[in-house]
Amino acid sequence: MAELSESRAFTAPEPGEDWAALAARVLPGTPEGEAVEKLQSWNLHLFARHPRGQFLGSDVVFTAPPAA
Amino acid sequence: MDWIIRGGRIVDGSGLPAFEGDVALKDGKVARLGGRIEAEGAQVFDASGCIVAPGFIDPHTHFDVQLLWDGQARPALEHGVTTIVPGNCSLSLAPLKAGDRQRVVGMFQQIEEMPDAAFDGAFEWRWESFDGYLAALKESLSINVAPLVGHSVIRLWVMGAAATERAATAEELSAMQDLLAQCLEAGAVGLSTSFVDVDENLMPVPSRYAHFEELDALAAVLGRYGRMLQVVPEFYATDITLARVDQLAELSLRYGIPTTFSPLFDSAATPDNVPRVMARVAEQMARGAQVWPQVQTRPIDISFTFEVASLLFAGLPKWYRTMRMGAEEKIAALSDSEWVAQLLAEAEPGGNGARWAAVQVRGGVSDASLVGQTLGALAEARGSSPAQVMIDLSLEHNLQASFIAASLGHNDSDRVGALLADGNVHVGASDAGAHIQSFATYGDTGYLLGHFVRDRGALSLEAAIKKITADTARIWGLPGRGQLAPGFAGDVAIFDAAEIDRCAEEACFDMPEEGMRYVRASKGMVGVFVNGALSWSKASGYADAPVGQIATQLPGAASA
Repeated sequence: MAELSESRAFTAPEPGEDWAALAARVLPGTPEGEAVEKLQSWNLHLFARHPRGQFLGSDVVFTAPPAA
Repeated sequence: MDWIIRGGRIVDGSGLPAFEGDVALKDGKVARLGGRIEAEGAQVFDASGCIVAPGFIDPHTHFDVQLLWDGQARPALEHGVTTIVPGNCSLSLAPLKAGDRQRVVGMFQQIEEMPDAAFDGAFEWRWESFDGYLAALKESLSINVAPLVGHSVIRLWVMGAAATERAATAEELSAMQDLLAQCLEAGAVGLSTSFVDVDENLMPVPSRYAHFEELDALAAVLGRYGRMLQVVPEFYATDITLARVDQLAELSLRYGIPTTFSPLFDSAATPDNVPRVMARVAEQMARGAQVWPQVQTRPIDISFTFEVASLLFAGLPKWYRTMRMGAEEKIAALSDSEWVAQLLAEAEPGGNGARWAAVQVRGGVSDASLVGQTLGALAEARGSSPAQVMIDLSLEHNLQASFIAASLGHNDSDRVGALLADGNVHVGASDAGAHIQSFATYGDTGYLLGHFVRDRGALSLEAAIKKITADTARIWGLPGRGQLAPGFAGDVAIFDAAEIDRCAEEACFDMPEEGMRYVRASKGMVGVFVNGALSWSKASGYADAPVGQIATQLPGAASA
């Protein structure tokens, strides 16, 4: 099977996950506040959405910053 | 033989070069083609000087409700479209419990801009199951239908109000799988879902509450039947669209299913969007995944009045809120200088009205000389701003003044032509039957064959016809359709290649209760056969022949 080029990493929220829980899963070892802040800054499409801070099951959550 | 289509130039859908000859139809199918065919008693359709092609297949429509009072899906049929796919974007009219009907009607009205009259009294709503809906359609069907079932309605059926609250339980997931299987058994061509749409209360539709595990479980069912998964991705954000391409590829590879996403637009504002998405699609296709981006042929034009909340204002919260008010409240708001100041601040940030300057007056005004003028020109003449002129004209004409924002995107013919010719692009995304008060969603095939094939040479006639016939049938798994070959369905479009096009967009009052919609008549089409019956001709118009079939079944199958 042909290799894929590198792309921006993402995940999908698991049932019941909030920003803190998702941050703990995808950025282990990073202090919670810092991890949440990073995730929110990489996912303004979710963070800026009403109601703020809630995931929908189908959301794409980026776990890396956008390419420069 | 029943019909001989005489003396045309046959483009059979395979992509091979055109050739001269007759096409013979018998018992709803193509019986023979090529050379001179003689058959005693057969009717003859003179196709001399014309192209004879398979009927076109439109893979992205919202004719779900219109088909219940108009089995011909006018005016799609007269453009040569003989098979349509309704049920896109997570919405279908079945399976649907009677108690949930109003909920889904609200979604259709919000997402597809369907007016009340389309659902109110124009038909008898007497089904709940998917096969019940198909039975209601078949009573007067004159076009072939390959219907998707909507993820949002499946969720609503199984979870009720919780469909817009939480993840599904294991039991609910199992029930959704069973329900999807029933729909596929009944004739659904696949499942549609949406990651972007909102309901009439501007809240996410049920499918958006589904976790990936739910979509995976439903894709597993699609895999048992080899059926399609259609999604609406976040098409306005490239990185998210790329992620969706990867998710679809994962499901396609895991379950061996075709997937498609729509729309994919070209835009001068985000010129790297299409190249990046197509590069990822090519990588995934090379791995064996089937991830088909649907690309429409026409530029984006949006017509609007202040009577209804146009999608043009969806990104302007204050305007959108105003447009959703009742008429009296709206007029009061638009007459309130403080309110208007806030609207102007939102629409023309920093006093810059450039965004609205090219919008033209379309009609509904007492002074005919205003029609065709831009808001920019009128603003200059009045010493005002474009958005203020738009408000003033609307108030002066009791909200009836209409405007058109033309060529908002997808209008660079060089770029779009190259995109349409790409082997990984699925020509579709017409949205036919939706957004009926914003733009005409008919005639995209005429625009492809006229503008991109004849006038610009972006792709050959044979290649273009293959894309909208045999390729579409193959991608969607429609047996016996999309090609002119013995044994295939007698779906035929006959047109003058020098004339084929779409006519100008016109307001038409042919919806229930004389409701308005924008339509385009066909140009250059001379005859359309559906399952061997002449269903429309330039000479005689529409024939009232209920010959349409459920296209997921073999042509001529007893159950169709």
